[in-house]
Amino acid sequence: MKKLASNVWLTLFGLSVVVPLLWVAMSSLKKGADILASPWSLPTQPQWSNYASAWQQAEFSRFFLNSLIASTATLLILLPVGSMAAYVLARYPFRGSKLVRGVFLFGMMFPNFLAIVPLYLLMSQLGLTDSLVGLVLVYVAYSLSFTIFVMGGFFEALPGELAEAAMMDGCGHHATFWKVMLPLARPGLVVTGIFNGIGLWNEYNLAKVLVQKQEVMTLPLGLARLTATQFYQSDWGALFAGLVIVMVPVLVIYWFFKEKVQDAMLAGAIK
Amino acid sequence: MNRRALFVASYLAPAAVLYGLFVLVPFVQTFQLSFFSFRGVSSERRWVGPQYYQALATDEVVPKVLAHLGFLLIGGGLCALVMAMVTAHALQENTRLARFVRGVFLFPQVVSVVAVAVMWQFLYAPNGGLINGFLRAVGLGGMAKSWLGDTTWALPAVGVAWVWFAVGFYIMLFAAGIKGIPAEIGEAASLEGCFGWKRFVSITWPMLWSVRRVAVVYVAVNVFNVFALVNVMTNGGPARATETFLTYIYEQGFSASKFGYASALAIVNLAVILVVTFALGAMFRKNPEGART
Repeated sequence: MKKLASNVWLTLFGLSVVVPLLWVAMSSLKKGADILASPWSLPTQPQWSNYASAWQQAEFSRFFLNSLIASTATLLILLPVGSMAAYVLARYPFRGSKLVRGVFLFGMMFPNFLAIVPLYLLMSQLGLTDSLVGLVLVYVAYSLSFTIFVMGGFFEALPGELAEAAMMDGCGHHATFWKVMLPLARPGLVVTGIFNGIGLWNEYNLAKVLVQKQEVMTLPLGLARLTATQFYQSDWGALFAGLVIVMVPVLVIYWFFKEKVQDAMLAGAIK
Repeated sequence: MNRRALFVASYLAPAAVLYGLFVLVPFVQTFQLSFFSFRGVSSERRWVGPQYYQALATDEVVPKVLAHLGFLLIGGGLCALVMAMVTAHALQENTRLARFVRGVFLFPQVVSVVAVAVMWQFLYAPNGGLINGFLRAVGLGGMAKSWLGDTTWALPAVGVAWVWFAVGFYIMLFAAGIKGIPAEIGEAASLEGCFGWKRFVSITWPMLWSVRRVAVVYVAVNVFNVFALVNVMTNGGPARATETFLTYIYEQGFSASKFGYASALAIVNLAVILVVTFALGAMFRKNPEGART
Protein backbone atom coordinates (compact mmCIF):
# COMPACT_ATOMS: atom_id res chain seq x y z
CA MET A 1 0.00 0.00 0.00
CA LYS A 2 2.62 2.52 1.07
CA LYS A 3 4.75 1.56 -1.83
CA LEU A 4 1.80 2.15 -4.12
CA ALA A 5 1.13 5.61 -2.68
CA SER A 6 4.74 6.62 -3.14
CA ASN A 7 4.79 5.27 -6.70
CA VAL A 8 1.60 7.11 -7.58
CA TRP A 9 3.08 10.31 -6.18
CA LEU A 10 6.35 9.89 -8.06
CA THR A 11 4.49 9.19 -11.28
CA LEU A 12 2.31 12.28 -10.92
CA PHE A 13 5.27 14.42 -9.95
CA GLY A 14 7.43 13.13 -12.78
CA LEU A 15 4.64 13.77 -15.28
CA SER A 16 4.07 17.29 -13.98
CA VAL A 17 7.73 18.04 -14.68
CA VAL A 18 8.00 16.36 -18.03
CA VAL A 19 4.61 16.88 -19.69
CA PRO A 20 4.77 20.69 -19.98
CA LEU A 21 8.31 20.48 -21.36
CA LEU A 22 7.36 17.79 -23.88
CA TRP A 23 4.32 19.84 -24.82
CA VAL A 24 6.59 22.78 -25.62
CA ALA A 25 8.88 20.56 -27.69
CA MET A 26 5.94 19.02 -29.54
CA SER A 27 4.24 22.36 -30.13
CA SER A 28 7.43 23.78 -31.59
CA LEU A 29 6.89 21.43 -34.54
CA LYS A 30 3.26 22.39 -35.16
CA LYS A 31 1.78 25.11 -37.31
CA GLY A 32 1.66 28.26 -35.20
CA ALA A 33 -2.11 28.53 -35.33
CA ASP A 34 -2.57 24.89 -34.24
CA ILE A 35 -0.62 25.25 -31.00
CA LEU A 36 -3.56 26.52 -28.99
CA ALA A 37 -6.30 25.57 -31.43
CA SER A 38 -5.65 21.85 -30.88
CA PRO A 39 -3.13 21.71 -28.04
CA TRP A 40 -3.15 17.93 -27.59
CA SER A 41 -2.83 16.87 -31.21
CA LEU A 42 0.48 15.61 -32.50
CA PRO A 43 2.04 17.66 -35.27
CA THR A 44 0.66 16.31 -38.53
CA GLN A 45 3.75 17.34 -40.40
CA PRO A 46 6.77 18.49 -38.41
CA GLN A 47 7.16 22.20 -39.11
CA TRP A 48 10.93 22.53 -39.05
CA SER A 49 10.41 25.91 -40.66
CA ASN A 50 9.45 27.20 -37.18
CA TYR A 51 13.10 26.81 -36.23
CA ALA A 52 14.26 28.54 -39.37
CA SER A 53 11.97 31.49 -38.73
CA ALA A 54 12.98 31.69 -35.05
CA TRP A 55 16.64 31.51 -36.01
CA GLN A 56 16.43 34.06 -38.84
CA GLN A 57 13.38 36.37 -38.76
CA ALA A 58 13.05 36.43 -34.97
CA GLU A 59 16.84 36.83 -34.75
CA PHE A 60 17.46 34.01 -32.32
CA SER A 61 20.74 33.43 -34.13
CA ARG A 62 21.89 36.83 -32.86
CA PHE A 63 20.53 36.29 -29.34
CA PHE A 64 22.18 32.87 -29.28
CA LEU A 65 25.51 34.32 -30.34
CA ASN A 66 25.24 37.14 -27.80
CA SER A 67 24.44 34.67 -25.02
CA LEU A 68 27.31 32.46 -26.09
CA ILE A 69 29.75 35.38 -26.16
CA ALA A 70 28.53 36.81 -22.85
CA SER A 71 28.66 33.46 -21.02
CA THR A 72 31.97 32.31 -22.47
CA ALA A 73 33.77 35.63 -22.07
CA THR A 74 32.50 35.89 -18.50
CA LEU A 75 33.80 32.42 -17.65
CA LEU A 76 37.16 33.10 -19.31
CA ILE A 77 37.67 36.12 -17.05
CA LEU A 78 35.82 34.87 -14.01
CA LEU A 79 37.58 31.54 -13.51
CA PRO A 80 41.18 32.84 -13.41
CA VAL A 81 40.30 36.05 -11.55
CA GLY A 82 38.11 34.23 -9.04
CA SER A 83 40.59 31.38 -8.56
CA MET A 84 43.49 33.77 -7.97
CA ALA A 85 41.56 35.62 -5.29
CA ALA A 86 40.23 32.41 -3.74
CA TYR A 87 43.75 30.95 -3.69
CA VAL A 88 45.44 33.78 -1.81
CA LEU A 89 42.48 34.12 0.55
CA ALA A 90 42.62 30.41 1.31
CA ARG A 91 46.38 29.86 1.54
CA TYR A 92 48.05 33.18 2.25
CA PRO A 93 46.40 34.42 5.43
CA PHE A 94 47.19 38.04 6.22
CA ARG A 95 45.80 40.52 8.67
CA GLY A 96 42.23 41.17 7.59
CA SER A 97 42.07 38.30 5.10
CA LYS A 98 39.04 36.84 6.90
CA LEU A 99 37.31 40.18 6.56
CA VAL A 100 38.16 40.44 2.86
CA ARG A 101 36.79 36.94 2.34
CA GLY A 102 33.64 37.84 4.23
CA VAL A 103 33.13 40.94 2.09
CA PHE A 104 33.43 38.83 -1.05
CA LEU A 105 30.97 36.23 0.25
CA PHE A 106 28.51 38.91 1.29
CA GLY A 107 27.52 39.20 -2.36
CA MET A 108 25.91 35.74 -2.19
CA MET A 109 23.49 36.93 0.47
CA PHE A 110 21.67 39.81 -1.13
CA PRO A 111 19.61 39.98 -4.31
CA ASN A 112 21.58 41.83 -6.97
CA PHE A 113 18.56 44.03 -7.63
CA LEU A 114 19.35 45.92 -4.43
CA ALA A 115 22.21 47.63 -6.24
CA ILE A 116 20.53 47.89 -9.60
CA VAL A 117 19.75 51.62 -9.73
CA PRO A 118 23.27 52.87 -8.96
CA LEU A 119 24.70 50.10 -11.13
CA TYR A 120 22.59 51.25 -14.06
CA LEU A 121 23.64 54.89 -13.52
CA LEU A 122 27.29 53.87 -13.32
CA MET A 123 27.09 51.80 -16.48
CA SER A 124 25.40 54.67 -18.34
CA GLN A 125 28.14 57.05 -17.25
CA LEU A 126 30.78 54.62 -18.44
CA GLY A 127 28.93 54.17 -21.73
CA LEU A 128 28.64 50.45 -21.00
CA THR A 129 24.91 49.97 -21.30
CA ASP A 130 23.75 48.18 -24.44
CA SER A 131 27.18 46.62 -24.62
CA LEU A 132 28.32 43.03 -24.28
CA VAL A 133 31.58 44.26 -22.74
CA GLY A 134 29.60 46.01 -20.02
CA LEU A 135 27.43 42.96 -19.49
CA VAL A 136 30.48 40.69 -19.17
CA LEU A 137 32.17 42.97 -16.62
CA VAL A 138 29.02 43.06 -14.51
CA TYR A 139 28.53 39.31 -14.84
CA VAL A 140 32.09 38.64 -13.69
CA ALA A 141 31.63 40.95 -10.71
CA TYR A 142 28.34 39.37 -9.65
CA SER A 143 29.63 35.81 -10.10
CA LEU A 144 32.77 36.34 -8.01
CA SER A 145 31.17 35.63 -4.61
CA PHE A 146 30.06 32.14 -5.48
CA THR A 147 33.25 31.36 -7.40
CA ILE A 148 35.54 32.51 -4.59
CA PHE A 149 33.44 30.59 -2.09
CA VAL A 150 33.61 27.27 -3.97
CA MET A 151 37.19 27.58 -5.24
CA GLY A 152 38.31 28.63 -1.76
CA GLY A 153 36.89 25.37 -0.46
CA PHE A 154 38.86 23.39 -3.03
CA PHE A 155 42.13 25.22 -2.35
CA GLU A 156 41.74 24.77 1.41
CA ALA A 157 41.25 21.05 0.93
CA LEU A 158 44.50 20.61 -1.04
CA PRO A 159 47.37 19.30 1.10
CA GLY A 160 49.72 22.14 2.06
CA GLU A 161 52.83 19.98 1.57
CA LEU A 162 52.24 20.04 -2.18
CA ALA A 163 52.64 23.81 -2.34
CA GLU A 164 55.64 23.66 0.00
CA ALA A 165 57.29 20.97 -2.10
CA ALA A 166 56.74 23.03 -5.23
CA MET A 167 58.25 26.10 -3.56
CA MET A 168 61.28 24.02 -2.43
CA ASP A 169 61.77 22.87 -5.99
CA GLY A 170 62.25 26.47 -6.93
CA CYS A 171 58.78 27.29 -8.14
CA GLY A 172 57.86 30.85 -7.24
CA HIS A 173 54.46 31.82 -5.91
CA HIS A 174 53.16 32.24 -9.47
CA ALA A 175 54.42 28.92 -10.81
CA THR A 176 53.19 27.10 -7.70
CA PHE A 177 49.72 28.44 -8.33
CA TRP A 178 49.49 28.02 -12.10
CA LYS A 179 51.46 24.79 -12.50
CA VAL A 180 50.63 22.88 -9.31
CA MET A 181 47.70 24.16 -7.30
CA LEU A 182 45.31 25.32 -10.01
CA PRO A 183 45.56 22.06 -12.02
CA LEU A 184 44.89 20.14 -8.80
CA ALA A 185 41.78 22.22 -8.21
CA ARG A 186 40.43 21.39 -11.65
CA PRO A 187 37.33 19.61 -10.29
CA GLY A 188 36.48 22.91 -8.63
CA LEU A 189 36.91 24.77 -11.91
CA VAL A 190 34.58 22.31 -13.60
CA VAL A 191 31.92 22.68 -10.90
CA THR A 192 32.04 26.48 -10.81
CA GLY A 193 32.36 26.73 -14.58
CA ILE A 194 29.31 24.61 -15.31
CA PHE A 195 27.19 26.11 -12.56
CA ASN A 196 28.07 29.69 -13.46
CA GLY A 197 27.72 28.87 -17.14
CA ILE A 198 24.13 27.68 -16.69
CA GLY A 199 23.30 30.69 -14.53
CA LEU A 200 24.82 33.11 -17.04
CA TRP A 201 23.07 31.49 -19.99
CA ASN A 202 19.77 32.02 -18.19
CA GLU A 203 20.52 35.42 -16.63
CA TYR A 204 17.71 37.92 -17.02
CA ASN A 205 17.53 40.53 -14.23
CA LEU A 206 20.78 42.39 -14.85
CA ALA A 207 20.57 42.11 -18.63
CA LYS A 208 16.99 43.38 -18.58
CA VAL A 209 18.19 46.63 -17.02
CA LEU A 210 21.50 47.01 -18.80
CA VAL A 211 20.46 46.09 -22.35
CA GLN A 212 17.68 47.70 -24.39
CA LYS A 213 19.00 47.40 -27.94
CA GLN A 214 17.92 44.35 -29.82
CA GLU A 215 21.36 43.80 -31.33
CA VAL A 216 22.85 43.25 -27.88
CA MET A 217 20.04 41.13 -26.39
CA THR A 218 20.80 37.70 -24.96
CA LEU A 219 18.46 34.73 -25.37
CA PRO A 220 16.27 35.30 -22.30
CA LEU A 221 15.79 38.95 -23.27
CA GLY A 222 15.03 38.06 -26.87
CA LEU A 223 12.57 35.38 -25.81
CA ALA A 224 10.79 37.72 -23.39
CA ARG A 225 10.61 40.41 -26.04
CA LEU A 226 9.27 38.06 -28.68
CA THR A 227 6.65 36.79 -26.23
CA ALA A 228 5.55 40.30 -25.35
CA THR A 229 5.09 41.21 -29.02
CA GLN A 230 3.63 37.89 -30.18
CA PHE A 231 1.42 36.66 -27.36
CA TYR A 232 -1.75 38.28 -28.65
CA GLN A 233 -1.19 37.17 -32.21
CA SER A 234 -1.72 33.60 -33.18
CA ASP A 235 1.42 32.56 -34.98
CA TRP A 236 3.43 31.02 -32.21
CA GLY A 237 5.51 28.50 -34.11
CA ALA A 238 8.68 30.56 -33.99
CA LEU A 239 8.11 31.45 -30.35
CA PHE A 240 7.92 27.78 -29.31
CA ALA A 241 10.96 26.99 -31.42
CA GLY A 242 12.68 29.84 -29.58
CA LEU A 243 11.69 28.31 -26.24
CA VAL A 244 13.31 25.04 -27.26
CA ILE A 245 16.45 26.87 -28.43
CA VAL A 246 16.74 28.52 -25.00
CA MET A 247 16.12 25.37 -22.97
CA VAL A 248 17.92 22.59 -24.81
CA PRO A 249 21.57 23.67 -24.35
CA VAL A 250 21.28 23.85 -20.56
CA LEU A 251 19.36 20.60 -20.35
CA VAL A 252 22.04 18.83 -22.38
CA ILE A 253 24.82 20.24 -20.20
CA TYR A 254 22.86 19.41 -17.07
CA TRP A 255 22.30 15.85 -18.27
CA PHE A 256 26.02 15.21 -18.66
CA PHE A 257 27.09 16.96 -15.47
CA LYS A 258 24.17 16.24 -13.14
CA GLU A 259 26.26 15.51 -10.06
CA LYS A 260 28.50 18.53 -10.57
CA VAL A 261 25.54 20.87 -10.94
CA GLN A 262 23.89 19.47 -7.85
CA ASP A 263 27.16 19.69 -5.89
CA ALA A 264 27.46 23.33 -6.85
CA MET A 265 23.88 24.13 -5.89
CA LEU A 266 24.28 22.37 -2.57
CA ALA A 267 27.64 24.01 -1.92
CA GLY A 268 25.96 27.38 -1.95
CA ALA A 269 23.19 26.23 0.36
CA ILE A 270 24.80 24.04 3.03
CA LYS A 271 27.66 26.09 4.35
CA MET B 1 56.57 45.50 0.26
CA ASN B 2 57.95 42.00 0.33
CA ARG B 3 57.39 39.50 -2.44
CA ARG B 4 54.70 37.56 -0.64
CA ALA B 5 52.66 40.69 0.01
CA LEU B 6 53.11 41.82 -3.55
CA PHE B 7 51.97 38.43 -4.78
CA VAL B 8 48.89 38.44 -2.53
CA ALA B 9 47.96 41.98 -3.52
CA SER B 10 48.36 41.37 -7.23
CA TYR B 11 46.24 38.21 -7.09
CA LEU B 12 43.48 39.89 -5.15
CA ALA B 13 43.46 43.10 -7.14
CA PRO B 14 41.49 42.11 -10.27
CA ALA B 15 38.68 40.52 -8.26
CA ALA B 16 38.67 43.36 -5.73
CA VAL B 17 38.46 46.06 -8.41
CA LEU B 18 35.59 44.40 -10.30
CA TYR B 19 33.71 43.45 -7.17
CA GLY B 20 34.23 46.82 -5.56
CA LEU B 21 33.27 48.86 -8.60
CA PHE B 22 30.22 46.91 -9.75
CA VAL B 23 28.91 45.32 -6.55
CA LEU B 24 30.01 47.11 -3.38
CA VAL B 25 29.97 50.71 -4.54
CA PRO B 26 26.50 50.46 -6.12
CA PHE B 27 25.24 48.67 -3.04
CA VAL B 28 26.41 51.50 -0.77
CA GLN B 29 25.15 54.10 -3.24
CA THR B 30 21.67 52.65 -2.99
CA PHE B 31 21.56 53.96 0.60
CA GLN B 32 22.87 57.32 -0.55
CA LEU B 33 20.52 57.64 -3.51
CA SER B 34 17.50 56.96 -1.35
CA PHE B 35 18.05 60.37 0.28
CA PHE B 36 18.48 62.36 -2.93
CA SER B 37 16.24 63.66 -5.63
CA PHE B 38 18.00 62.50 -8.73
CA ARG B 39 16.62 62.20 -12.21
CA GLY B 40 18.60 61.39 -15.31
CA VAL B 41 22.22 60.56 -15.57
CA SER B 42 23.87 63.97 -15.64
CA SER B 43 21.45 66.11 -13.62
CA GLU B 44 22.27 67.28 -10.12
CA ARG B 45 21.46 65.49 -6.95
CA ARG B 46 19.39 67.33 -4.40
CA TRP B 47 19.25 66.20 -0.77
CA VAL B 48 15.68 65.47 0.20
CA GLY B 49 16.23 63.65 3.47
CA PRO B 50 13.86 60.85 4.40
CA GLN B 51 11.18 62.15 2.04
CA TYR B 52 11.06 58.96 -0.02
CA TYR B 53 10.74 56.83 3.06
CA GLN B 54 7.81 58.98 4.19
CA ALA B 55 6.21 58.63 0.76
CA LEU B 56 6.80 54.91 0.93
CA ALA B 57 4.89 54.65 4.20
CA THR B 58 1.76 55.92 2.47
CA ASP B 59 2.34 54.21 -0.89
CA GLU B 60 -0.59 51.87 -1.30
CA VAL B 61 1.39 49.54 -3.55
CA VAL B 62 3.81 48.61 -0.76
CA PRO B 63 1.25 46.77 1.43
CA LYS B 64 0.08 44.94 -1.69
CA VAL B 65 3.61 43.89 -2.51
CA LEU B 66 4.12 42.66 1.05
CA ALA B 67 0.85 40.73 0.97
CA HIS B 68 1.79 39.09 -2.35
CA LEU B 69 5.20 38.09 -1.09
CA GLY B 70 3.63 36.83 2.14
CA PHE B 71 1.22 34.74 0.10
CA LEU B 72 4.01 33.30 -2.05
CA LEU B 73 6.18 32.69 1.01
CA ILE B 74 3.55 30.91 3.08
CA GLY B 75 1.37 29.33 0.40
CA GLY B 76 3.97 28.68 -2.27
CA GLY B 77 6.77 27.97 0.18
CA LEU B 78 4.73 25.49 2.17
CA CYS B 79 3.59 23.68 -0.98
CA ALA B 80 7.13 23.51 -2.33
CA LEU B 81 8.59 22.25 0.95
CA VAL B 82 5.91 19.61 1.55
CA MET B 83 6.10 18.36 -2.04
CA ALA B 84 9.88 18.33 -1.88
CA MET B 85 9.94 16.42 1.40
CA VAL B 86 7.48 13.80 0.12
CA THR B 87 9.35 13.43 -3.16
CA ALA B 88 12.78 13.23 -1.56
CA HIS B 89 11.48 10.56 0.81
CA ALA B 90 9.94 8.56 -2.05
CA LEU B 91 13.14 8.88 -4.10
CA GLN B 92 15.11 6.70 -1.68
CA GLU B 93 13.81 3.64 -3.52
CA ASN B 94 15.93 2.39 -6.36
CA THR B 95 13.17 1.56 -8.80
CA ARG B 96 13.17 2.51 -12.45
CA LEU B 97 10.54 5.16 -11.68
CA ALA B 98 12.64 6.70 -8.93
CA ARG B 99 15.69 6.75 -11.20
CA PHE B 100 13.63 8.51 -13.86
CA VAL B 101 12.36 11.17 -11.45
CA ARG B 102 15.90 11.63 -10.10
CA GLY B 103 16.97 12.37 -13.65
CA VAL B 104 14.37 15.02 -14.41
CA PHE B 105 13.32 16.67 -11.14
CA LEU B 106 15.85 19.48 -11.48
CA PHE B 107 14.95 20.36 -15.08
CA PRO B 108 12.70 23.28 -14.09
CA GLN B 109 15.52 24.72 -11.97
CA VAL B 110 18.18 24.66 -14.66
CA VAL B 111 16.20 26.01 -17.61
CA SER B 112 15.82 29.76 -17.94
CA VAL B 113 13.16 31.32 -15.69
CA VAL B 114 12.07 33.33 -18.69
CA ALA B 115 11.37 30.11 -20.60
CA VAL B 116 9.47 28.78 -17.59
CA ALA B 117 7.42 31.98 -17.47
CA VAL B 118 6.62 31.90 -21.19
CA MET B 119 5.67 28.25 -21.00
CA TRP B 120 3.29 28.83 -18.09
CA GLN B 121 1.79 31.81 -19.85
CA PHE B 122 0.72 29.42 -22.58
CA LEU B 123 -0.38 26.71 -20.15
CA TYR B 124 -2.67 29.33 -18.58
CA ALA B 125 -3.92 30.70 -21.92
CA PRO B 126 -7.70 31.23 -21.70
CA ASN B 127 -8.45 29.39 -24.95
CA GLY B 128 -6.42 26.35 -25.82
CA GLY B 129 -4.14 26.47 -22.79
CA LEU B 130 -3.49 23.01 -21.38
CA ILE B 131 -4.95 23.88 -17.99
CA ASN B 132 -8.34 25.04 -19.23
CA GLY B 133 -8.29 22.20 -21.74
CA PHE B 134 -7.75 19.73 -18.92
CA LEU B 135 -10.55 21.25 -16.82
CA ARG B 136 -12.96 21.08 -19.75
CA ALA B 137 -11.91 17.50 -20.52
CA VAL B 138 -12.70 16.33 -16.97
CA GLY B 139 -16.03 18.16 -16.90
CA LEU B 140 -14.89 21.14 -14.86
CA GLY B 141 -15.22 23.55 -17.77
CA GLY B 142 -16.97 26.00 -15.49
CA MET B 143 -13.68 26.58 -13.67
CA ALA B 144 -11.85 27.47 -16.87
CA LYS B 145 -10.86 31.10 -16.84
CA SER B 146 -8.31 33.62 -17.97
CA TRP B 147 -6.01 32.74 -15.08
CA LEU B 148 -3.45 35.47 -15.52
CA GLY B 149 -6.01 38.11 -16.46
CA ASP B 150 -8.08 37.65 -13.32
CA THR B 151 -7.18 39.77 -10.29
CA THR B 152 -8.14 36.96 -7.89
CA TRP B 153 -6.44 34.08 -9.68
CA ALA B 154 -3.34 35.71 -11.17
CA LEU B 155 -1.30 35.51 -7.96
CA PRO B 156 -2.13 31.86 -7.16
CA ALA B 157 -1.42 31.06 -10.82
CA VAL B 158 2.00 32.70 -10.58
CA GLY B 159 2.48 30.83 -7.31
CA VAL B 160 1.88 27.48 -8.99
CA ALA B 161 4.41 28.33 -11.69
CA TRP B 162 6.86 29.36 -8.96
CA VAL B 163 6.39 26.06 -7.11
CA TRP B 164 6.92 24.13 -10.36
CA PHE B 165 10.13 26.03 -10.93
CA ALA B 166 11.43 26.01 -7.34
CA VAL B 167 10.54 22.59 -5.94
CA GLY B 168 13.49 20.74 -7.49
CA PHE B 169 15.99 22.69 -5.45
CA TYR B 170 14.34 21.64 -2.19
CA ILE B 171 14.05 18.02 -3.32
CA MET B 172 17.79 18.08 -3.89
CA LEU B 173 18.37 19.68 -0.49
CA PHE B 174 16.21 17.14 1.36
CA ALA B 175 17.62 14.23 -0.64
CA ALA B 176 21.11 15.31 0.40
CA GLY B 177 19.91 15.57 3.99
CA ILE B 178 18.39 12.08 3.88
CA LYS B 179 21.63 10.73 2.42
CA GLY B 180 23.41 12.30 5.38
CA ILE B 181 21.40 10.29 7.89
CA PRO B 182 23.84 7.73 9.32
CA ALA B 183 23.46 4.35 7.66
CA GLU B 184 23.25 2.50 11.01
CA ILE B 185 20.07 4.36 11.88
CA GLY B 186 18.49 3.40 8.58
CA GLU B 187 19.58 -0.23 8.97
CA ALA B 188 18.28 -0.40 12.51
CA ALA B 189 14.97 1.00 11.32
CA SER B 190 14.78 -1.56 8.52
CA LEU B 191 15.50 -4.38 10.96
CA GLU B 192 12.70 -3.14 13.18
CA GLY B 193 10.42 -3.16 10.15
CA CYS B 194 10.10 0.61 10.15
CA PHE B 195 9.21 1.79 6.65
CA GLY B 196 7.07 4.32 4.86
CA TRP B 197 5.14 6.86 6.86
CA LYS B 198 6.29 5.55 10.26
CA ARG B 199 9.90 5.76 9.17
CA PHE B 200 9.33 9.24 7.82
CA VAL B 201 7.84 10.52 11.08
CA SER B 202 10.24 8.79 13.44
CA ILE B 203 13.51 9.09 11.53
CA THR B 204 13.59 11.17 8.36
CA TRP B 205 11.70 14.21 9.67
CA PRO B 206 13.52 14.63 13.00
CA MET B 207 16.91 13.96 11.42
CA LEU B 208 16.42 16.68 8.84
CA TRP B 209 16.13 19.64 11.19
CA SER B 210 19.26 21.43 9.99
CA VAL B 211 18.40 20.99 6.31
CA ARG B 212 14.88 22.14 7.05
CA ARG B 213 16.21 25.38 8.44
CA VAL B 214 18.33 26.01 5.35
CA ALA B 215 15.32 25.21 3.17
CA VAL B 216 13.01 27.62 4.95
CA VAL B 217 15.51 30.47 4.80
CA TYR B 218 16.10 29.72 1.11
CA VAL B 219 12.40 29.83 0.39
CA ALA B 220 12.31 33.35 1.80
CA VAL B 221 15.36 34.45 -0.18
CA ASN B 222 13.97 32.91 -3.38
CA VAL B 223 10.53 34.44 -2.95
CA PHE B 224 11.99 37.90 -2.42
CA ASN B 225 14.08 37.33 -5.54
CA VAL B 226 11.07 36.74 -7.78
CA PHE B 227 11.38 39.06 -10.75
CA ALA B 228 11.69 37.38 -14.15
CA LEU B 229 8.72 35.09 -13.58
CA VAL B 230 6.34 37.96 -12.82
CA ASN B 231 7.95 40.43 -15.19
CA VAL B 232 7.37 38.07 -18.11
CA MET B 233 4.08 36.42 -17.10
CA THR B 234 2.05 39.39 -15.88
CA ASN B 235 4.39 42.36 -15.48
CA GLY B 236 2.87 42.81 -12.02
CA GLY B 237 -0.69 43.02 -13.30
CA PRO B 238 -3.58 42.85 -13.71
CA ALA B 239 -4.12 45.97 -11.59
CA ARG B 240 -0.93 45.19 -9.60
CA ALA B 241 -2.40 41.86 -8.47
CA THR B 242 1.00 40.15 -8.84
CA GLU B 243 3.36 43.05 -8.09
CA THR B 244 6.48 42.06 -6.14
CA PHE B 245 9.22 44.19 -4.63
CA LEU B 246 11.57 43.71 -7.54
CA THR B 247 9.00 44.36 -10.26
CA TYR B 248 7.93 47.51 -8.41
CA ILE B 249 11.54 48.65 -8.01
CA TYR B 250 12.06 48.03 -11.71
CA GLU B 251 8.97 50.01 -12.65
CA GLN B 252 9.76 52.95 -10.39
CA GLY B 253 13.43 53.03 -11.34
CA PHE B 254 13.41 52.31 -15.02
CA SER B 255 9.95 53.08 -16.36
CA ALA B 256 9.30 56.15 -14.19
CA SER B 257 13.00 57.10 -13.72
CA LYS B 258 12.38 57.76 -10.03
CA PHE B 259 15.85 56.63 -9.02
CA GLY B 260 15.66 57.91 -5.45
CA TYR B 261 12.31 56.30 -4.77
CA ALA B 262 13.39 53.01 -6.34
CA SER B 263 16.49 53.05 -4.13
CA ALA B 264 14.40 53.64 -1.02
CA LEU B 265 12.23 50.69 -2.05
CA ALA B 266 15.35 48.57 -2.44
CA ILE B 267 16.50 49.47 1.05
CA VAL B 268 13.12 48.63 2.54
CA ASN B 269 13.20 45.37 0.60
CA LEU B 270 16.59 44.57 2.11
CA ALA B 271 15.30 45.35 5.60
CA VAL B 272 12.28 43.09 5.10
CA ILE B 273 14.47 40.25 3.79
CA LEU B 274 16.79 40.53 6.77
CA VAL B 275 13.91 40.56 9.27
CA VAL B 276 12.12 37.63 7.61
CA THR B 277 15.19 35.44 7.21
CA PHE B 278 16.36 36.10 10.76
CA ALA B 279 12.88 35.38 12.11
CA LEU B 280 12.64 32.14 10.13
CA GLY B 281 16.17 31.17 11.07
CA ALA B 282 15.34 31.68 14.74
CA MET B 283 12.06 29.79 14.50
CA PHE B 284 13.79 26.78 12.99
CA ARG B 285 16.98 27.00 15.00
CA LYS B 286 16.33 24.43 17.71
CA ASN B 287 17.43 20.89 17.22
CA PRO B 288 14.21 19.17 18.29
CA GLU B 289 16.03 16.02 19.35
CA GLY B 290 18.56 17.93 21.37
CA ALA B 291 15.83 19.74 23.23
CA ARG B 292 14.11 16.52 24.24
CA THR B 293 17.08 14.58 25.57
